[in-house]
Amino acid sequence: MSRWIRGAGRRFGTVAALVALCVLLWILTPYFLTVPNLLNVMEQTSINAIVAVGMTYVIISGGIDLSVGSVLALSGVVLAEALKAQWAVPLAIAAALAAGAATGLVNGVGIALGRLPPFIMTLGMMSVARGAALLVTDGRPVSTFESGFRALAVGRVLGIPAPIVLTLAIYAVAHVVLTRTRFGRYVYGIGGNEEATRLSGVPVRFHKTMVYGVSGLTSGVAAILLTARLNTAQPIAGINYELDAIAATVIGGTSLSGGEGSLGGTIIGALTMGVLRNGLNLLGVSSFLQQLVIGAVIIAAVLIDLMLKERRA
Amino acid sequence: MTCRSSASFATSALKVPAWCLLFLASFSVACNRGGDGARGGKPRIALVLKTLNSPFFNDMQRGAQEAADKLGVDLVVQAADREIDVERQMQIVENLIQSGVQALCLTPSGSKEVVPAVVKANRANIPVIIVDTRLDPAAAGQAGAKVVSFIGSDNYEGGRIAAQAVVAATNARANVGVLEGIPGHETGDSRLRGFREGIAASRGVRVVASQPANWERDQGFNVFQNMLQAHPDIDTVFACNDMMALGAVEAIRAAGRTGSIRVVGFDAVEDARKAIQDGTMVASVAQFPDEMGRVAVEHAVRAVRGEPVPADAKVRIELVTKQGSR
Repeated sequence: MSRWIRGAGRRFGTVAALVALCVLLWILTPYFLTVPNLLNVMEQTSINAIVAVGMTYVIISGGIDLSVGSVLALSGVVLAEALKAQWAVPLAIAAALAAGAATGLVNGVGIALGRLPPFIMTLGMMSVARGAALLVTDGRPVSTFESGFRALAVGRVLGIPAPIVLTLAIYAVAHVVLTRTRFGRYVYGIGGNEEATRLSGVPVRFHKTMVYGVSGLTSGVAAILLTARLNTAQPIAGINYELDAIAATVIGGTSLSGGEGSLGGTIIGALTMGVLRNGLNLLGVSSFLQQLVIGAVIIAAVLIDLMLKERRA
Repeated sequence: MTCRSSASFATSALKVPAWCLLFLASFSVACNRGGDGARGGKPRIALVLKTLNSPFFNDMQRGAQEAADKLGVDLVVQAADREIDVERQMQIVENLIQSGVQALCLTPSGSKEVVPAVVKANRANIPVIIVDTRLDPAAAGQAGAKVVSFIGSDNYEGGRIAAQAVVAATNARANVGVLEGIPGHETGDSRLRGFREGIAASRGVRVVASQPANWERDQGFNVFQNMLQAHPDIDTVFACNDMMALGAVEAIRAAGRTGSIRVVGFDAVEDARKAIQDGTMVASVAQFPDEMGRVAVEHAVRAVRGEPVPADAKVRIELVTKQGSR
């Protein structure tokens, strides 16, 4: 019970920050609080939000995944080449997801079995996957797909843009897996105290490997959305996406030291960044100042989160 | 106890917004350029650049701002943090559509990738003026993207002019190392095509190596340094922009070969003009980005007023050498 209240108090902080930001923008510009703009923000947030699902799993397990942007580019390129070779759309999508998941599992094997620090393994993979994407395409963007595929980005379900529906569905599934399954509990356990988890008989190596597989898979899903959105797969896509995903995760209250965090927080974190960028564009704020503001908000959000934690302790 | 402490984090959590509020409000007061959209009926026009970290786009912005001031236009200038971030550029366009701009001038970060963004502007009935980099005709055609006007240099012709400069400077005998832009960018591809065709007639001019350095100065340095390791016989560099050319100049200096390798660039930015005066570069093809910015705003204003707009406006190009421009 007390744990639930603490969780709610914590969540309330992030939600309150997002609501306040929205209220502020509503006061400052008449274009912010309109249905088309809010759908627009959510659509723009979807890619970062999906990458951040895998990142949240990884960070809760006490690791980090720097390769998500490159894996996203590689999955996108695999998808585009498959579509260009006239594969059926579901088959091409499956190939892209498999490419993402496989790359993630390689990270996991290096970390869990090879005992490489996650930072190093995924830093290496960041370069390997990027190189592979450039090699496959000869550095050129691959483009123009049939309209059936593009419906993933431009289609609507009950008037709601498809990317938003897809994002919510992924969060629902990922949340259930994280909170209601044995795998989910092990993810928290490994992040909280890996040695204790291992001693209590959990196959830690296997589950650690799977965590990075999840991260590769969500990067693959994001790649499908991004490719549909731009009608192009770029081998140079996704540069610095790992930083946005880490930011969304930590703004959402997940601890970089592992063992705690939630996907509910992460989606609020991703939305906070999306709303901030959207608002700064609507206000016509200089592009340089935008970078400064976004960076400062990330620092402030995590600082306040730490202060709240200290008070609790 | 627990409930009480949770209430206290709730109150302290509410300080988050207070912070953000002050923070954002102070900036928005300082920089809000007509976010309310109601400014005495002034047309509100957006200029979305590839980046603002480049003298080329700074000049374009300056030209556009001058035209906007003269014509009484409220100009909003935005750019992604990095030149290659097409997804971010698309987000900016979407956000500006929401903010009710009446015309959009856009320098595409990717010829194919921004097509969906142009289609969105079309749907919102916002006239689109493309500047500097053309849309990919096939992708635009397939998506039905409509552009009111294109304003830019003839990059193919620029590549030919650079080729002539190389031929003239080397008496038609040269081993050329080429630094390319990001592969698949229409601008760089056209320059390269023009350059290759320009040297085709001179059999003594050979391209011995050609590698992308992604438009950037530090990559120009590294890529050319590596190229020189593999091909010590290189005596001439053609770089598809000046940033990469200036990187090559530094690599040549580091190798102690200043003076024995000629460098030809593209864009004639200020640093390149200085390098030409110092003799570390031979020539650069000048574009006039300020003129592009000016014409873009003029065309946008005509489109907003419903006046006819020329579909294609070529901005002049010149070769800059130590002797001057021609």
